[in-house]
Amino acid sequence: MKFKFPKDLYTDVRIEDQKNASYGMQDDEVLYNSEASEKGAMIRIFDGKMWYSAETNDIDKIQNKIDELAKLATPNPKILENPIVKNFSVNKAEILKFNGTNSFRNLTKDDREKLVNDYRKKCIDKSITDIKVTYANFFYKNVIKELYTSKGTEIIQDIQRGCVNMWFQISGKDNITYGGGEQLWGFDLKSLKGREQEIIEKRDRAVDFARNNVAVEPGEYVCVLSPSVTSVFTHESFGHKSEADFMLNDKTLRDEWTMGKLVANKKVSIVDEGDSMHHGYCPYDDEGNKKKEVYLIKDGILSGRLHDAKSAAILGEEPTGNARAQDYNCTPLVRMTNTYMLAGPDKPEDIIKGVKDGIYVFDWNYGTGNSTFTIQPQKCYRIRDGKLCEPLRVNVVTGNVFQTLFDIDAVGNDLQFFSGTCGKGGQSLPTATGGPTIRVKKLTIN
Amino acid sequence: MKKEKYTTTNIEAEVHIVENEIVSFNKFDKTTTSFRVYDNGFVGVHYQLGKMSDKEGYALAEKNLELKRQYPFDLENGVRELDKTEKLLTDEQLMKKAKAELEYLLKTHPDFTYSGTFYVNSYFEQQKNSAGMDYQVRDGHNGVGITFKHKDSKDLDDGWFSLNFRNGFSSAKFRRMADNYLSNFTKMVELPDELIIMLPDWNLSGKLRDSLNAEKLALGTSLLSGKIGEKVFADSLTICHNVAKKNIWMNTFWDADGIVHKGDKLCYIKNGKILRGYADKRIAEKYGVECTGSAYHNYRDIPNNGWVNFKITAQKKTPKEILNGKLAVLPVQFSGGGFSDTGEYAMPVQMAYLTDGEKILGRVPPFTMRSNMFDMFGNDFIGVAKYMTLWNANMMLVKMEAGKL
Repeated sequence: MKFKFPKDLYTDVRIEDQKNASYGMQDDEVLYNSEASEKGAMIRIFDGKMWYSAETNDIDKIQNKIDELAKLATPNPKILENPIVKNFSVNKAEILKFNGTNSFRNLTKDDREKLVNDYRKKCIDKSITDIKVTYANFFYKNVIKELYTSKGTEIIQDIQRGCVNMWFQISGKDNITYGGGEQLWGFDLKSLKGREQEIIEKRDRAVDFARNNVAVEPGEYVCVLSPSVTSVFTHESFGHKSEADFMLNDKTLRDEWTMGKLVANKKVSIVDEGDSMHHGYCPYDDEGNKKKEVYLIKDGILSGRLHDAKSAAILGEEPTGNARAQDYNCTPLVRMTNTYMLAGPDKPEDIIKGVKDGIYVFDWNYGTGNSTFTIQPQKCYRIRDGKLCEPLRVNVVTGNVFQTLFDIDAVGNDLQFFSGTCGKGGQSLPTATGGPTIRVKKLTIN
Repeated sequence: MKKEKYTTTNIEAEVHIVENEIVSFNKFDKTTTSFRVYDNGFVGVHYQLGKMSDKEGYALAEKNLELKRQYPFDLENGVRELDKTEKLLTDEQLMKKAKAELEYLLKTHPDFTYSGTFYVNSYFEQQKNSAGMDYQVRDGHNGVGITFKHKDSKDLDDGWFSLNFRNGFSSAKFRRMADNYLSNFTKMVELPDELIIMLPDWNLSGKLRDSLNAEKLALGTSLLSGKIGEKVFADSLTICHNVAKKNIWMNTFWDADGIVHKGDKLCYIKNGKILRGYADKRIAEKYGVECTGSAYHNYRDIPNNGWVNFKITAQKKTPKEILNGKLAVLPVQFSGGGFSDTGEYAMPVQMAYLTDGEKILGRVPPFTMRSNMFDMFGNDFIGVAKYMTLWNANMMLVKMEAGKL
């Protein structure tokens, strides 16, 4: 045992060792050029009633912190019978995927500079004079996490994520400046190389939008959502409501979210899983439980929800391994991992063909979800007689979540995954979102 | 070779409430340091969380010079110490206060579920260098942030309120705020024909602030490019960087390039006329514009432009006095929209109250508030009220259009 844990209390120790770096340019000027490393730990003690926690950057003082916290807590000889503590499964695992040349830890400033300059060479076209400023940067973070608990869990796992980002400031009609570009995410350097076409496609689309966009007339429209927009709709409108910690003592919400209830069109199925190598990859959660695949909606029927040890104990369900913390400074909350709407049978082009007069929502800046979900798009297009027409400037798309889930009348066969950052309770975490092209009978456009 | 060190220490104690129960007590004490060495126009930086000796920190910063990060500016000098701290609660007092106020909420407004945090935060920041600079600031406050959800609501939460004090923690003021936010939640009222929005001033000024970035002004990529010296906004609109005010929390009086403003204040817009954009030393030199001392501290890298505490000059009146008998709408839950590149503004408002500027009168149906940057701070700008504990902010009042949600 690495630590001496106090008797009759539950203790967990989460240690993180991270290294990050960034290199960024604005046109020909270096704007960012940094590297940093950080190590720290969170120590938590539970006496069956309250959690006591402390954070430290001094790894040598972890035992001291455990001892100090133990003095604040009340020893509980039946702590192992506590329903929450029972839900902390005992796991021993070492999952280190990012070693040696595969690890971002071994990159040098020259590697970062070269990658950025390779993209700049291939993606900057000086003949496009509308582009006034170009930003190009590369940043990454590698984290090795260790978890030790008084029940005997010992888990070491690592994760790293890197991002190449190119962003263009484009002078458009009426001398307004529009932004556009692309973020490429990957788990190693190899996966971040050679993807210039993805950036060039987004660059050219942004230039076209800046030159030709027209303001939308606010109102209600048939909307086709691209896979990227479906994915954020899925995450914001439904994913967050699947996080069980919001309903623990709330009868209204528990009644509203009864398993087996029809909550969406039968074409809709939504899953959360952390094993596949997407942005929300998370084999074990920050309480040490193995992440399970959970169908949140299956064929339109509410089928599951996401849990940490506490929410599972209170609702009498199984933990799903969704307790995640932003870093060692934060306590775990119920969070999504890779959450996506499954593909359906329809071809995306047929979905658009079926719209006489509507709007294609192509991409988004951000979205939110409560009873009403919102999406602020970057670019939309008018659909007339089944064809994509002029680019539209739309400020915000809104809809009632449940009505919209029933109003989905076509689900595409083009499931795609996207990398994002999700905020909850002051913590930001990497999550993957995913979805296909879908069509919604009616959404409000402003 | 010159040396410089940024240091920030945050000490915090927190009592967390989840669904009407105190579930945890958390303490942290974090020191963050940026060791910096300057040599021949380059800076080497070592970012450190936790304690480290100067000898070790500067040695690592020196090694970091190999990244060849340019910083061709002279270091500033000057000595000043500012201590804004008053009375912080002890751990015991904090826990006692959290229990008492939670009990009050549960007893007085039992139809709601509460989550949130009672906390005490103590903050110290220092920048010191071998050229003779030693600036320090200390601040601290006792605070609370509460989210609430009505028992019949199908939303995850319905609203929130927060409050901070430098000197102790006034239960009376907290309870007055809570009573105001919770008493008329279930009373549904109509959206008024004339929509006047009331929000903390910082909530709506983001796009305007961004548009005053001197680099964007110089590149022609700001909505305000070419408008320096022109009167663009309402006569009553004056906006300044102002860190002298008492209700500015946890802020340095100097920028990361070491510049201190006369009277801790510098104005950007006066009576609607745009005076200048904000620029740190790098941006000022690059574009040949006035340096406004606007560099924020980047502990891992060179300073970045954008340290601007953007305060709209407030009137001496309360919101109720400014409204003078009219009613305003206070958005509490609003998200998912914002400003577009063109300056248009559309924001879904999921939950909002009707108020006379002092008392909350009832809840209005969800809607979308619409405006644009030029109208918001021009013809439709009504004013910013004096700071009131009841709202924990200087409230801005502005006319907008209402759209469907």
